[in-house]
Amino acid sequence: MTLTLGHYLGMSAILFAIGLAGALTRRNAINVLMSIEIMFNAGILNLIAAWHFRYFESLTPQLFAVFAVTIAAAESALGLALVIAVYRHYRSVNVEEMTALRG
Amino acid sequence: MEAVYHFLRSLRWVGDWPQPVLWALAFAVPIVFVVVVFPLIFAYTTLVERKALGRIQNRLGPNRVGRWGILQPIADGLKLLIKEDIVPAKADRVVHTLAPVIAVIPSLMLFTVIPVGSGLIPVNLNIGLLFVFAISTGSVLALFMGGWASRNKFSLLGAMRSVAQVVSYEVPMVLAAVVVVMAVGSLSTVDIAAAQAGGWANVTNWFVFRPWGFVGLVLFLMGAMAESARTPFDLPEAESEIIAGYHTEYSGFKFALFQLGEYLAAIAMAGVTVTLFLGGYNGPGCELPVVGKLIGMGWFFVKLFAMIAVIIWIRGTWPRIRVDQLMAFAWKLMLPMAIINLIVAALYHYIEPKLLAWVVSAGLLVLSWATLSSLSAPPHLQKRTYRYWA
Amino acid sequence: MTTAFWIITIVTLLGALLAVTLRNLVHCVLSLILFFLGIAGHYFLLRADFFGTVQILIYIGAVAVLILFAIMLTRNVTGEEGPREILGMKWWSGAVIAALVAGVLLHAVRRDATAAVASSAPKPLSVADLGRALVGDWVVPFEGMAVLLTAALIGAVVIALEEVQRRR
Repeated sequence: MTLTLGHYLGMSAILFAIGLAGALTRRNAINVLMSIEIMFNAGILNLIAAWHFRYFESLTPQLFAVFAVTIAAAESALGLALVIAVYRHYRSVNVEEMTALRG
Repeated sequence: MEAVYHFLRSLRWVGDWPQPVLWALAFAVPIVFVVVVFPLIFAYTTLVERKALGRIQNRLGPNRVGRWGILQPIADGLKLLIKEDIVPAKADRVVHTLAPVIAVIPSLMLFTVIPVGSGLIPVNLNIGLLFVFAISTGSVLALFMGGWASRNKFSLLGAMRSVAQVVSYEVPMVLAAVVVVMAVGSLSTVDIAAAQAGGWANVTNWFVFRPWGFVGLVLFLMGAMAESARTPFDLPEAESEIIAGYHTEYSGFKFALFQLGEYLAAIAMAGVTVTLFLGGYNGPGCELPVVGKLIGMGWFFVKLFAMIAVIIWIRGTWPRIRVDQLMAFAWKLMLPMAIINLIVAALYHYIEPKLLAWVVSAGLLVLSWATLSSLSAPPHLQKRTYRYWA
Repeated sequence: MTTAFWIITIVTLLGALLAVTLRNLVHCVLSLILFFLGIAGHYFLLRADFFGTVQILIYIGAVAVLILFAIMLTRNVTGEEGPREILGMKWWSGAVIAALVAGVLLHAVRRDATAAVASSAPKPLSVADLGRALVGDWVVPFEGMAVLLTAALIGAVVIALEEVQRRR
């Protein structure tokens, strides 16, 4: 059996669903961030798989992946800074307890 | 690997063996080399370090096992092997066991991209330097896992310090090495070493003889020592503050594995420093046709041992720095210096003639160093007199 | 290549599953690292060496370490959480939604992309080409990334520092 693009797309679909399930069910903000990272990675894997199977003469998929990784890194840094700020305020990182709108 | 293969082909009594056998041999030789030679260097580095530190502190160092203590590493290894392996009752058993293993693997992997001679490299990756940086971050995980899984507050403090330290020092270290990548135009360690050949006696083209190369070497060496938790930066395992930090709860061979990982990382980083700034295997005589490769290998190891000696010397000379000093040093001094160094290296590339470029960039670097260090100088301290009497 | 694919896939899926289900936060991060390693393995398998290395450098070296740091700054550092409310209402709704999304995605993949096989052996892309493209045709998004990263850096510092300054 030869590998096709479908294998990779299918796998990353499952990974995305796992990440989504985590983001929906976990209560800890750090866990939610980790689940978001899983979804990000599933998406970037799709870009690289598409590059390998369809567009490997082109640089565009890899460049898109570079930008996606950069954004993901910036997002996680900001997310964790937010988690720390929220923790200072509520003394908890449970997303269900963050209900007040005033600071 | 190819070099080994062609060497085997050229030998009279091996050359006509079947090809797969030769390839297998060519595969095995670098692996055996990495797995045997460098741990051996590690074993004797510990001895040299103990002797040298002893001399620096006006002691003799180990001298009981064999003449000049020459069998001391073997005795140490045997002792650690037969010691009881203790896992604290409250510890996280799986993570506690995994941590020392993870400490060794990245350190060994680092050696796969260090060229010990022209063409003598286990794997010639075209992204070798990036690989070095990626792999060397793995060691911080081992320190964290070991410290966290021990369920000991001192271990945890050590783990936390190591995480903070590695995250901060990674940045200036990578920026210091980027200078070389800019000059060579390649990330491959083979290309970097080859670019430093030529000049007078294969010496003058080493990057350390350019102003930006010298600054890069100093910054890179400091970053590498911080990353492998060597003494001025050994806060994760400060014996006198947090009783050996992350490996407080380790005994027997797991403890030895941590030591192995740390020393191998330090040796590998010394090797990377040699490759990046000190010309790698280049030296007088390495361009000769037949023996040149061997001479180059000799030069590489001479430089490697010189770097190790410098690291030991630094350990014996400097006191450990405080946590706030550690952070301030990385972010206020090393990082701006590394960025200025990048700009100066670009200037050096475009100014002709090179003598003028040399003078200009050296002047700029000295000026910026003076400015930065005066900006981040501690407030002037009053002279204090301590009186001790009962 | 197929065997390697399946092994790495199992590792990756296992890492992802453990990362979202384990109770201990630090164990979650360690499984997340396993997942990142699996993704890096996939990149190496796909001949994207540069991306495999970048994955290790950025995700394991930076993101995972940052998460560990955040855990140590926020929770009780042992990482233990309270009892898990598994099979509760929320868990079920989350699992059903995720399963539905997975079903839709898999359906789309099955309909669309199964036929694509690598037409010839792609050679690893040289980093130099990538760099040239980044400062050539793609220089505007590249500079945009630089601005974004700077903004994120400053923003993260401001957000995390805010409370400390108010206290003084």
